[in-house]
Amino acid sequence: MIEILTAILSGSVVLATPILFSALGEIYDERAGVLNLGIEATMSLTAFVSLWISYSSGSYLVGTLAAILVGGLVALIHSFACVTIGINQLISGLLILTLADGIANFSYRNLSASTTLIIEPLKAINIPVLSQIPVLGPILFQHNIFVYLAFLFAIILGYILYKTTWGLKIRGVGENPEACDAAGMNVNRIRHLCVILSGVMAGLGGASLTLGYIGLYDRGIAAGRGWIAIIVVIFSRWSPYRAILGSLIFGIGYSVASNLIGIGAGTSYHFLLMLPYIIAIIVISFTFKRTKGPSALTVPYKRK
Amino acid sequence: MEMRFEKYIAYPIGLLVALLIFSAILLVMGFNPISSLETIFYGSFGTIFSASETFVRVTPLLLSALAFLIGFKARFLNVGVEGQLHMGALTAYLVASQMEGLPGGSSVPLIALASFIGGVAWLAIPLLLKIKLEINEIFPTVAMNFIAMLIISWLCTGPIKDPNALNPQTKTIPEATWLPLLIPRTRLHVGIIFAFFLAFLMYLILYKTVLGYEIRAVGLSSKAAKHGGINLSKNIISAGLLSGGLAGLAGMAEVAGTNHFLIVGFSPGFGYQGIAIAALGGFHPIGVLFASIFFSVLLIGGETMQRGVGVPIDMIYILQAVLVLSVLIVQRWITVRR
Repeated sequence: MIEILTAILSGSVVLATPILFSALGEIYDERAGVLNLGIEATMSLTAFVSLWISYSSGSYLVGTLAAILVGGLVALIHSFACVTIGINQLISGLLILTLADGIANFSYRNLSASTTLIIEPLKAINIPVLSQIPVLGPILFQHNIFVYLAFLFAIILGYILYKTTWGLKIRGVGENPEACDAAGMNVNRIRHLCVILSGVMAGLGGASLTLGYIGLYDRGIAAGRGWIAIIVVIFSRWSPYRAILGSLIFGIGYSVASNLIGIGAGTSYHFLLMLPYIIAIIVISFTFKRTKGPSALTVPYKRK
Repeated sequence: MEMRFEKYIAYPIGLLVALLIFSAILLVMGFNPISSLETIFYGSFGTIFSASETFVRVTPLLLSALAFLIGFKARFLNVGVEGQLHMGALTAYLVASQMEGLPGGSSVPLIALASFIGGVAWLAIPLLLKIKLEINEIFPTVAMNFIAMLIISWLCTGPIKDPNALNPQTKTIPEATWLPLLIPRTRLHVGIIFAFFLAFLMYLILYKTVLGYEIRAVGLSSKAAKHGGINLSKNIISAGLLSGGLAGLAGMAEVAGTNHFLIVGFSPGFGYQGIAIAALGGFHPIGVLFASIFFSVLLIGGETMQRGVGVPIDMIYILQAVLVLSVLIVQRWITVRR
């Protein structure tokens, strides 16, 4: 029993990682006043890119950097469309979804005709001493580098958002762009940077999925994680710190599902796979009412 | 009138941008863009059969786009059309499969009602959350999509699977419940006529009735509408019911019209394509009608291109996204610059 529980909890930390990366980027993006609904497909695309480049270059680092680059570029299209030009952010995000998924599957089909893209997922790095603690060690301190990075990023990005001038500017631009403009800030430049950051972080999320966990690509590999990440943003009330808790809740959902499928639990696996989405609807129902997002979210800014 | 011109000039520009990117990608990947385009055109209109297939595909696309459109007008972003379409297909199948021995044609209204209810039921939770708790509809509707697809794949691999079929699919529904064909020896069924009629009806509702006026007022500015004495909840519910119902009917078209059974993956993302189609059609029912025909040409032609030239169909999705994004960007850019 204790082994299964340890496996489930350790798995939930691993499965929370891609969600956490993407949620962190989306928090910055939304704090600055832009909603990026394209995260789901950006994760699928960068999951593919990181796999492909790691496979062909032999370096996981190069693969990860490529995923970051591609994630940023996809986000750049979104920020050009809705920050520079000012088209509807929701529609733009939904179109980015089709675009990024299309690119990922198109490239994969072209490539898979000649090669079988499979890599060994990254090995766990055991933290000295800490990883030896019974139960807690395997759950928290025996993971691949992406897992540690995600949690480190949550703390760093939380610090930047709340304790630095940059963070203040980002929050200001999402709450009251007119005042920020009057104070001499370049509203749209800050927004562009935050949108690109959301793509970059989704790129890390995608890379952590293939390089850190699955090791291969399939159509729709993000499997709802991008959407879950945006729900985590709302659950965490736009705080990078609380996003850790939020992604862990969904990590547990995914982990329970995959572990129970793994040991062949009696119920049909379809119902286990529904678990994260059912959690999502419950979570939204209980947190939405009390939360209010950044005031200028989804409102384009135009200088008078 | 000048505004009109500027709205329309964006279409050729957007198409040009999309075709340039399309050609560039194909050239880089070592395909011939000209022959690919020829294949798309021939594959969608070259023969009577291919043209009929194009119009078979228009039905679910148009209904999905109309479903998104009516919600969008009331500022209710129903991203869950895909899930509602799956549920409409399921209820249509369940009702139709019980109708052995009924006289031909009499079953159609009942199946339509069932699929309408199926679609609405799948929107009920997000709609309730929106009305009662002011919860943004985007995320609940998306979550319901995933759940709907899992339910369909559970049912089609288990409880209602045809034991003799290799694929995860159900038995064929009784022949009396099939939608009548328009052209013999094709799959073109009367659904397309209903879809066109519904597009026209949607135009009348939106622009010629009080309900449509109120829905549009809510969408333009909920504050102003409320101030003007318009009941927000009532109009969002009306738009939501129509939206979920139309999505359900799109599912029925596939089960009772095109395939005559339910199969996992019967929808290659109709619900999501409906969003792009609604945007391309300028969120106007008649524009959406033309946009759905154009999307269908690309999709059916794209399938021929995949079989014939070997260019993956995903290239078509890229083309569609680039096209709609470019059109929206150019339209917006021109209006802002004035």
